[in-house]
Amino acid sequence: MQRIRRIVAAIALAATATTTVAACGGGDSGDDSGAKTLKLWHYESANSAMGVAWDRAIEIFKTEHPGVEVRFERKAFEQIQQNAGMIVNSSEGPDIMEYNKGNATAGLLSSQGLLTDLTAEAEKRGWADKLSTSLQTTARYSDKGVMGSGNWFGVPNYGEYVTVYYNKDLFQQNGVQVPTTLAEMTAAMDTFVAKGVTPLGMAGAEYPAGQLFYQLALAKADRQFVDNYQLYKNPVDFKADPLKYGADTFADWVKKGYVAKNSASLKAEDMGTAFIGGKTPMIVSGSWWYGRFKAEMKANWDTFLFPGNTLQAGSSGNLWVVPTSSKAKSLAYDFIDITLRPEIQDLIGNNGGVPVAGDPAKITDAKDRKLIEDFNTVSKQDGLAFYPDWPVPGYYDVLVGGFQGLINGSKSPDQVLDTIAKPYADGVKEITGK
Amino acid sequence: MAVSETVAAPAATPTPPAPRRAPRGRNAAYWLYLLPGAVLFVLVIGAPLVGTGYLSLTKWSGVGDPTFIGLDNYRQLLHDEVFWASFRNTVAMLVAMVVAPTVLGLLLASVLFDIIGRRFKPRTAAALRAAFYLPQVLPVVVAGIVWGWILRPDGAFNSLLDAVGLGALRHDWLGDPGTALPSVMAVMIWVQIGYPVVVFMAALQRVDPELYEAAEVDGANWLHRFRAITLPQIRPETFVVALTCTIAALKVFGPIFALTRGGPENATNVPSYFAYYTFFKKLQVGYGSAISTVLTLIIVVVAVVFIWMQARSERRDRGF
Repeated sequence: MQRIRRIVAAIALAATATTTVAACGGGDSGDDSGAKTLKLWHYESANSAMGVAWDRAIEIFKTEHPGVEVRFERKAFEQIQQNAGMIVNSSEGPDIMEYNKGNATAGLLSSQGLLTDLTAEAEKRGWADKLSTSLQTTARYSDKGVMGSGNWFGVPNYGEYVTVYYNKDLFQQNGVQVPTTLAEMTAAMDTFVAKGVTPLGMAGAEYPAGQLFYQLALAKADRQFVDNYQLYKNPVDFKADPLKYGADTFADWVKKGYVAKNSASLKAEDMGTAFIGGKTPMIVSGSWWYGRFKAEMKANWDTFLFPGNTLQAGSSGNLWVVPTSSKAKSLAYDFIDITLRPEIQDLIGNNGGVPVAGDPAKITDAKDRKLIEDFNTVSKQDGLAFYPDWPVPGYYDVLVGGFQGLINGSKSPDQVLDTIAKPYADGVKEITGK
Repeated sequence: MAVSETVAAPAATPTPPAPRRAPRGRNAAYWLYLLPGAVLFVLVIGAPLVGTGYLSLTKWSGVGDPTFIGLDNYRQLLHDEVFWASFRNTVAMLVAMVVAPTVLGLLLASVLFDIIGRRFKPRTAAALRAAFYLPQVLPVVVAGIVWGWILRPDGAFNSLLDAVGLGALRHDWLGDPGTALPSVMAVMIWVQIGYPVVVFMAALQRVDPELYEAAEVDGANWLHRFRAITLPQIRPETFVVALTCTIAALKVFGPIFALTRGGPENATNVPSYFAYYTFFKKLQVGYGSAISTVLTLIIVVVAVVFIWMQARSERRDRGF
């Protein structure tokens, strides 16, 4: 028994000691002016455009802040996606972190007071002037965590948008011209179908189907629709255009053979590798594929904006956020400032990324330059319409399920619109209380 | 019964020595050895279980403070079509992961032990047993991804159909709601089959060979021997296999995640994937906890019923 008592006493002592030590280390005066460490986390791979650019930004930061140690940790996307709440709520979290934009992510954390309000810094340091209105949408969140208005809780420094990738060799072999209108695009697809080639790569089990549907809907949409759908400014009627046009046209494209009926189970990777392998003349997908195609594709290829659309699916890239618990906020602001400098922005552009404040003239590769010029065109005309799955949490899977039904023919466009309308309405009600 | 016999025994009969009791202090010391396990149980199972039960009574996005809403999540569950669809799919999973593997496993084990093992070298039966067990060694997500490749529209299965002149049957097996669930079931039978085969073959090792020899002398064929000897002799193992496979089927997640993510149109959704989706994708932690709690309760009830049936069967075999 005496032995047991000794063990219990030892455990109690160890627990007390741990608590005491933790209490000593946990103090945070809130004054970070003398911080000597910047803890920085992001989830970009080392050889991606952003990874390369941010490595350089860290070097510059170190040069300009002698005596400050940068503790950089590369995380996995899912790691931050699923644990962000706990990470920023902890004193062990980073001082600055890359985080997903959107209501269910940065919006949710900002509404809980877990992210630092960056409004004053954005104005003081000129970040607000460098980003177009549609790029600012994902940086600003209301007190309920709804993007588009309110204070700055994140800063993006790269962009992304959906475009059409096409295989130049296949176009040439089949005598197809690059389309500039939707009518020309359908004519081009008819030509491919007549020659036994499915013209548009698809992946029903992941995001590409939802994005094609949204691009088609945007052909009939204006900014008011985007504000209603994404920012809940007014109720959205799913049985009316532009969404009805999007679903009807999608079903029509499946019926005409533009999209393969047996692509419902395919994943985005399948679609991408089929395009890389020269099996598909066109895919409608995001600029995030660009660097990979550049590195891996042997055939000649290029991009063009989805023809006829003023609005395109796209947005800022992910955000730099500063947790409220950060002990080096001033240093974090300095780092964000560096990533928005021309040198870093050009580095993103020259590595196949899309800088938000880049100068196309500084981009050496003509194809890279075109990618950025296209983005700047869309961005300047306030044409970034975000993504169809953004409005409510979990909507991605709803859209995937709905459009799988349209691809394999098990549901009509009207049924699909019903399927996706209810979760949207429920989700909006959950967020806004209306 | 044993006590009354002892009492009724004549005084001259030497009384059997009473079982030695360890001194109180020493007994208490044994509790010390149970302590690490108990602490781990509380930390790893007990506390999360209680936590999940509490969260199922709240509305919570995973950040900030949960709001207590009583039984609202459970009321919502009752009217949730996806929840009921996921449980209907669980019945299919029970067929694919319990019924089919147990029945096929019994037959395969019996054939391997009683026919292959006797007519060929034991090594042949062992090699075949290992081959059946191989899918169990593979990480389930890897198996899921590979089967996803095989079943995709331009995958190996459709190419095989082409090669044997059945190209007209080419299909998007996992993309069509009509074929997705049967395809997943087929994969699960392939994954599961090795486990009962190995357990049943081990069980057959302990059956007295004289039983089989006597039956053969009496003219019993393989089917007679299977029904009269194999099945009754390995009943305890059958219970164990059925119980563990049922629990695995009720909480199946990995293969669904890797193969279909519950799609298309919830055709392959199961409760554990639905809970994961609600928890991490829809950020409805309270509702996801309610799904998990219901699933846990069902698993506990099923386990208790199985164990009770097994105990009753053993009592009956012993004749009391």
